[in-house]
This record gives sequence, structure tokens and C-alpha cells, in this order.
Amino acid sequence: MAAIEKSPTPRTGAHTVIGSSIVIDGEISGDEDLVILGTVKGRIGLKESLYVEGSGVIEADIETARVEVSGQVTGNISASEKVELKADCKVTGDIRAPRILIADGAVFKGNVDMDVKGAK
Amino acid sequence: MASLDGSTIIGESILINGNLNGDEDLTVRGRVEGTVTLTKTLVVEPTGVVKAEVQVKNCVIAGAVVGNVTASESVEITKEGRMVGDIAAPRVIIVDGASFRGRIDMGSFDAGEGERPAARAARPALSTRRPSAAPASARAEEKALPPRPPEPPVPAGLGGGKKKVIVRRK
Repeated sequence: MAAIEKSPTPRTGAHTVIGSSIVIDGEISGDEDLVILGTVKGRIGLKESLYVEGSGVIEADIETARVEVSGQVTGNISASEKVELKADCKVTGDIRAPRILIADGAVFKGNVDMDVKGAK
Repeated sequence: MASLDGSTIIGESILINGNLNGDEDLTVRGRVEGTVTLTKTLVVEPTGVVKAEVQVKNCVIAGAVVGNVTASESVEITKEGRMVGDIAAPRVIIVDGASFRGRIDMGSFDAGEGERPAARAARPALSTRRPSAAPASARAEEKALPPRPPEPPVPAGLGGGKKKVIVRRK
């Protein structure tokens, strides 16, 4: 399954990692990259990138600059720059971003809105 | 720095508000508010702030913790650590330089069995009921003296069975 193949590649600039056995129920906010291998429910608000790895499960509304999803996301995603749905990801919810990439193999259900005002 | 695989790191600019559960080590450099429940070790680094009810196996505090900490093994407050709240753990280590306000509960123990060797050696005068553990000089002294009535159990006599703190100076 998708959960086994992905070992997290170290990313430069990613200081925060939510490990695969961690469950967070609440709100995460911050100004740095966030890598999620575990489960987060609630809300995520970042000024940088969010990486949802293969083992990651998100049940939350997401508001960030960039999002890369390889795992599961249930909730609305709003990004000021880019949203990328990788192969094998499962996303349910609305996506709002000036650039949205959906790879072959991605499973997605929801609305897409690329007409974000203020986009350059 | 620690490797990224497996372990969880909360970076400096991150704020988590809510419940956090897990079965792995957690390093906090940012802020965590709410509850933290882990089956492994929580490390609060100097930049980390935890305002939460904490339930873990081990806890190392080098940053700030406000809230009660319950550990199944140990709690250590390092020299940079600041904590306000109650600690419940069988082993509590507070080093020189640490700041702490609150209560400590290291569990109940019998005078004869619950104490650890280090504590016995430090208080030879109270060891007369346990000749095997007493230093040789204390034993010799005991023989020379006339028989004394048995002393009361140690912690009860001091009223401090639940408030023992080990201070390790570096």
C-alpha cells in the first residue's frame, strides 16, 4: 500500500515533522515547512509549504502557501501559490489556488478554483 | 540535528493547539498547548514552550513547561529548564540551574524497600534497621552503642514521603 513505500525524504528547510504514530486533534499554525506522516484533525494554517506524505491522514481545512499531497486529505485546501496532488493521493474537498497540479493516479473529489484574486 | 525519519519535531515557529497523541519520541522547539499523551519520550528544547497536561514515559525539559506532567518512568529538568506545575513520576531529576514551582509525587514507598541505594548511603544514621545497606563505619558504631529502641519509619517521620527531589550538581 501507499503507506509502506514512502520513507520521508529529508527536505531542506523542513523543521517540523509529525511522525507516523502521532495524532493531533486541534490547530496547527506556523511560519515554516511542515511534513506530516501521521494524522491531523482540525485546522492547519501555515505561511510555507505543507507536505502530506504517503502515511499522512488529514481531516482538516488547510490554508498555506504550497501544498503537496501524497497521502489522504479530507477538507478544503486553500493555497496562495500552488497545490500539487501526487499519484496515489486521495483528496476530498475543495481546492483553491492559482496553480493546481493533479498527477496521474491521484484520486480527487471536489471543486477546483484557480481564479484566485491577487494571483500574479 | 536529529534525523527526520520516524521522530516527530515541532519546529520553532509552529503552534499546535489541541490534543496530541502518539507512540514515538516528540521534540518540541515551538509551542504546544492542550494535552500531550505519548508512550515514549517528550523532549522540550530550550526554544520550546509546552502549556499542556502531559502524560508520557520520559520527559526532558530544557525549555518551558506550564502544566502537570505525569511520567511512567522519569522527568528531568535540565539547567535551562523552567517548569510550573505538578510532577508525578517515580524518578524526578532536577539539576542545578533549573527552575521549578509545583508539587512532586514520586509515589509511595516503604522505608525498608522502596528506597534506592543512593538514598540509603546518603543517610547512614537512618539505616540501623537495614544492616546490609549501612556503611561499615555505621555498623561498627551501632555495635559499640547500647541497644536503642527501633526508630520510626523514615519517610513518615520526616513527613516527606511524597516530596523527595534528587538534585544532581554538575
